[in-house]
Amino acid sequence: MKTGKTVNLQPPASSEAKAEDRDAMGRPATQRKGEVRLGREVQARIGQQLRALYDDVVSEGVPQHIADLVRKLSDQDDGVA
Amino acid sequence: MTLDPAIRDQVLGTVPSLRAFAISLSGNIDRADDLVQETLLRALAHIDSFQPGTNMPAWLFTILRNLFRSEYRKRRREVEDADGRYAETLKSHPEQTGRVEFNEFRAALAKLPSDQREALILVGASGFSYEDAAAICGCAVGTIKSRVNRARTRLADLLAIDSVDDFGPDRATRAVLAGGGRS
Repeated sequence: MKTGKTVNLQPPASSEAKAEDRDAMGRPATQRKGEVRLGREVQARIGQQLRALYDDVVSEGVPQHIADLVRKLSDQDDGVA
Repeated sequence: MTLDPAIRDQVLGTVPSLRAFAISLSGNIDRADDLVQETLLRALAHIDSFQPGTNMPAWLFTILRNLFRSEYRKRRREVEDADGRYAETLKSHPEQTGRVEFNEFRAALAKLPSDQREALILVGASGFSYEDAAAICGCAVGTIKSRVNRARTRLADLLAIDSVDDFGPDRATRAVLAGGGRS
């Protein structure tokens, strides 16, 4: 986000982590270490790809006609229905 | 009434992310820009209901999502192929083309149910907390968590099946492959 001043985006809650100590069958996570490891790498890759796609649009910034619209509306706000 | 420049800057600062979200919802850049424009019209007309110091992005995302949903109900037939068109839309960004991995990722993302894709994007790309994402979608935090988890699992499945080579074996797998040839 461009203007970070009063924007209160909190980091994603990290309460998920605990669930990984045991799997769905109640087995300790160590028994499926390989599985978890691969899972994490895939998940990290998914996160990267997702953000790359999204940020591709974000990097286009504010289209001129939208910037103009906002400026116009904020100067003469009464005309807005 | 003249808009406080600080508020105006917050609105403008949210626009790029709002557009990215709108594209992910509507699957169409023109429609996304219409949605963003309509969102801003509504938001600025009701700017009094925004409390300074609270989360401007979450407020705008909520308005946009509600607009999209009500439009969706009205024009269901027009947007019912939004999932398919999402993949098409993303192909129109030439700077990202040429990577097989990326195209497969887009295709996989387009296969997700829209509520799961929406939750994943809000949390994984827009950077909202689960709580904010839940407020934006008007559902429980647990619902968002479960949608995000299902989306991630489904993507991992789709990508593992479709593009094992693109992801490449990790070190552990490689070690097993290298050492296990004879047995």
